[in-house]
Amino acid sequence: MSESPILSIGAPGFDVDKLVADLQATADRKMKDGVYADARVARAEKTNLVHLRGSDDFITFYLTCLRDAVFVDIADFDIRERRRFLSPLLVGLKKTIWKLLKFYTYRLWSQQNQVNGLIITALEGLEEQSAKRIAALEARIAELERKAPHHGG
Amino acid sequence: MAAERLAFVSPRFAGEGAVGGAETLLKNLAIHAVALGIPVDFLTTCAQSHYTWENSLPPGVQTIDGMNVHFFPVDDRDVGAFLRIQNTIDHGHAVGESDELFWLRNGVHSTALLGHLEANASRYRAILTGPYLFGLTWSTAMAHPERTLLIPCLHDEPFARLSVMKRLFRDAAGCLFNSHAERELAGELFGVPDAKARIVGMGIDPIEADPEVFARRHGISTPYVLYSGRREPLKGTPLLCDYMQAFRERTGRDIQVVFTGSGAIDAPDALWPHILDVGFVSETEKHEAMAGAIAFLHPSVNESFGIVLLEAFLAGTPGLVHAQSRVLVGQCRAAGAGLWFRHYPDFETQLLFLLDHPEARAELGRRGHRFVADEYAWPVVEQKFIRALDALCPA
Repeated sequence: MSESPILSIGAPGFDVDKLVADLQATADRKMKDGVYADARVARAEKTNLVHLRGSDDFITFYLTCLRDAVFVDIADFDIRERRRFLSPLLVGLKKTIWKLLKFYTYRLWSQQNQVNGLIITALEGLEEQSAKRIAALEARIAELERKAPHHGG
Repeated sequence: MAAERLAFVSPRFAGEGAVGGAETLLKNLAIHAVALGIPVDFLTTCAQSHYTWENSLPPGVQTIDGMNVHFFPVDDRDVGAFLRIQNTIDHGHAVGESDELFWLRNGVHSTALLGHLEANASRYRAILTGPYLFGLTWSTAMAHPERTLLIPCLHDEPFARLSVMKRLFRDAAGCLFNSHAERELAGELFGVPDAKARIVGMGIDPIEADPEVFARRHGISTPYVLYSGRREPLKGTPLLCDYMQAFRERTGRDIQVVFTGSGAIDAPDALWPHILDVGFVSETEKHEAMAGAIAFLHPSVNESFGIVLLEAFLAGTPGLVHAQSRVLVGQCRAAGAGLWFRHYPDFETQLLFLLDHPEARAELGRRGHRFVADEYAWPVVEQKFIRALDALCPA
């Protein structure tokens, strides 16, 4: 899925600030190219979102990841048992319970998927709307500043 | 004759059962003061757990590492009200000053310890206390500000913005910071002037570790990354596990995650087969684990020093830290020995870079080793400490 950044670095004498800037620029470019529009990235970022609230670009990117994550596949995991003792028996028991509950969980699952889809659509709509509104306001301010007579002197 | 003795005041005494970066720092500074011929009284509480503050050690005086360690009982606490106020502050909401003082008083406090200080303050040339956010530290500094040197271990967090903290930093005779980044933060938040600020930090003992021993001992045949320390959300360990799970899935690279230290690991189920949790290990084994790692991961955004990151540098291993941690980024920059990520795409790009460029990784490791050996050798730190003492609390 991912690729190594194409950087040629002579080990002696490289500058760590420049290295980080280069690697971050690589990541930014790959984000724009859609390399990270991935449900797994959305899940990985769940505890980091609090640190990214100030970044408009990242929130827009995160919404694209969420779009990928929003429709959950109810059968996308293996049933496992971490304890070694009686592990096959416990896995069998869990699988049986899982099958017996299908009539109930599938209904919840399909409803949840619908809600998830509606919420992400609404969020994307809101985000697009506010981005447009901010862009219009910025353009208006720029226009007013251009027209205003020189001041402050 | 002028008092020469120093008092160190810390809510816990670092040792078996009580581990914390700030407590370790205070204890090590005290031990090295003793080694320099300065008499030391170390005043602390009978508590070992920073969650319960239960009095689990007997009160009294013991001689430990050449200093008199006085253990005093913690006062009774109103835990419910304390947590309610703490939660409010932690969510960034303002509380009144009376609530701030109530929160400090019911965090960790010891009337017996403060009584001892009241009776003996004139015997001490200086009282060194920290970290900043504990009631015991605050009360100590407020009772004897003219001889208090604060070792704040300051983080950029809601507690640092309480009005009572402005008083603490304003009134203390001086502050000993661990890093330039921490000192800058204190300047921004409290306007601490240069005349009252010194950067001292803590010395790091030399490390001689074979980078292959740890992997061999634990049968690790793939590259691994390492985290050492407390495992809890505030330290960013759930983020580390989520990132490593996504990294393994997306890149297909077989890389293990090694943990040393204490606390439950909150990791996705699918990552568990690739986690090696060795728990508490000896310093030697921890350094061996560091020396063999592809990178030392430090996802915490609340650090004032980053002792384990510096140890990893000294072991010749580059750091990979969260960009929001001003202190850890500052250490990576100063050493030229680590990278910092803003989000998962950065993390993936940077970890792939470290995996695929062994020559660059080795260069980062060499720089880190050199930086810590030059800047954080104990003789260097001892000199900084003595100079700070002479400037801020002359004998």
